[in-house]
Amino acid sequence: MKPKTPLLVKRLSIISLSLLLVLLIAMFLGISMGSTTSGIKIVFQSLLKSRESDPMLDTIIWQIRFPRVLLATLVGAALSLGGLVFQALLRNPLAEPYILGISGGSAIGAIIGILIGFSRFPGVSLTAFAGSIAILLLILVMSSGQTILKKDALLLSGVMVNAFCAAVIMFLVSMTQDSRLHNIIFWLMGDLSMVDMGHVGILAAILCPCFILIFWFSNSMNLLLMGKEMAQTLGVNIKSVTVILLVTTSFMVSATVSYCGLVGFVGLVVPHLLRLVFGPDHRVLVPACVLGGGAYLVSCDVLARVLPKQGEMPAGVITAMIGAPLFIFLLKKTRR
Amino acid sequence: MIKNTSMVIVLMMTVVLLISIGTPSDAKIVSDQLGRKITVPDNPQRVVALAPSITEIIYALGRENLLKGVTLYSDFPPAAVNLPKVGSYVQLNLEKIVALKPDLCIAIKDGNPRVVARRLESLNIPAYAVDPRNLETVMQTVLEIGNLLNADQQADLLVQRMRSRVLKVKSLVSKAGYRPRVFFQIGISPIVSVGTDTFMHELIVLAGGKNLAKGPVAYPRFSREQVLALSPEILIITSMARAAVFEKVKAEWSRWPNIPAIRDQRIFLEDSNFFDRPTPRLVDGLELLVKLIHPELFDETQ
Repeated sequence: MKPKTPLLVKRLSIISLSLLLVLLIAMFLGISMGSTTSGIKIVFQSLLKSRESDPMLDTIIWQIRFPRVLLATLVGAALSLGGLVFQALLRNPLAEPYILGISGGSAIGAIIGILIGFSRFPGVSLTAFAGSIAILLLILVMSSGQTILKKDALLLSGVMVNAFCAAVIMFLVSMTQDSRLHNIIFWLMGDLSMVDMGHVGILAAILCPCFILIFWFSNSMNLLLMGKEMAQTLGVNIKSVTVILLVTTSFMVSATVSYCGLVGFVGLVVPHLLRLVFGPDHRVLVPACVLGGGAYLVSCDVLARVLPKQGEMPAGVITAMIGAPLFIFLLKKTRR
Repeated sequence: MIKNTSMVIVLMMTVVLLISIGTPSDAKIVSDQLGRKITVPDNPQRVVALAPSITEIIYALGRENLLKGVTLYSDFPPAAVNLPKVGSYVQLNLEKIVALKPDLCIAIKDGNPRVVARRLESLNIPAYAVDPRNLETVMQTVLEIGNLLNADQQADLLVQRMRSRVLKVKSLVSKAGYRPRVFFQIGISPIVSVGTDTFMHELIVLAGGKNLAKGPVAYPRFSREQVLALSPEILIITSMARAAVFEKVKAEWSRWPNIPAIRDQRIFLEDSNFFDRPTPRLVDGLELLVKLIHPELFDETQ
């Protein structure tokens, strides 16, 4: 990484602080809204340990909503960063873990892990990782020819990989009588509701080093975007950087999938939005994606909790409803 | 240093004291049907039933005053509909359960996600799991829930009544000379029937019928062709669907009059709740089935 100019440090800290504020507001909303009682007042009462606060409300806020908000933050950050890295490495603005099928591959791995009877961590996380790596290799093999790197070809292969993954998932679900798969469909849609602090801790321990590693390579991503020859002459070891970044990203994505299923299009919406506001410098975009992605998924999860009259819906429903139309819009725009 | 140590000791003693105050003395450790050790209150006052069948059992025991929350589709008895809902039994809403401040949750192994039971325990809410697999274990479950809710007498009475009704059916069916072939259809599209390891199979056999779909798969799928080949004499369709859907399904089957059940007009629609909920109402379902499978036995007695 090149030494940072003072201007960059200033810009970075201003952007990070303002996005941190946005994230904190979203998290605050996240712990104050829910299916039982909503209200900012009760959260303040609970925060300040005031006498009126009810121990039941404390439990709901700190042991049910808070882990869920933290999970949404981590998952949103990981998926946004995943999208950013794929867009830079494949030099394709429409690349995203879910669209390329990496998430689908992780889901297959995770389901196989569940069927074998592994525990969530490390067993299911590892089979999910294996699944995502298999799909990643498939994509790399397909895109190693010159022509297929073209936008449409890559997306088309992603659509096919996704269709294949969906079929394998349905195959596995239909083949088994296992009661553990009863609510697998709900889990596949990206469900954040059944998490406790232990899970959040493990996931944070997995993801935070990945965030730092990707930030370390943020300048290399800038150079890569200028073209392979240019990057090489500027001293970037393209092969190792690409491999490290792709494997790290797949690892992050598979960890999130094994905890909360398929949350789609986050990696498309957030990086595009942030690039629009802050420009194309990855040294700024990496931390911005972590904070902004977290805030985005926390907000989507709040909608998923508040909108349904009866029960809740998976957060993945909301992210897909926002993300898919944006994808079509971006596709039309890049075609021109 | 010494001062610090003594302070730590005082602190620890305070913590121990607080913990011992916090533990309810009027609690007991029981082992549920999954063999898990659970601390439950002697006198539960706020019970949440995590499946419609458990709601029914609690009502049948006359302990509905303790019931503070139920799941969606808890529609029997009709009064249960008005109780607060905590999500559907496969998709429980943890926050709503906790908001009801339960001192006991009763869960069912088939359907309730295990993670919910684990989360409830981490929040210090006991979750007693039941796992009824056949009529015998349903009766066992009624007795256990009766014991949990201090309704042992009512539970004994209820189970006695269930047993005597089952015995009556058995003695009636023993007079029948023939076991008709029954196809029990629980799914319309695709056609799904019931294998050996289901309540429906047990009830069909007890009611003097022959389950055409018996086998190791609990809920096997069938093509129309396969059903034709089995040539059922009685076709029973259970559905949560409305009568209009039944008419459509009936019309569909009516295209094959060479099926004995169609030729003899022995195609029936019944409420699935009598057959797939592990509750005392299974015995109602059994009596209903005998009337459908062996109507001649009732002609003789009358």
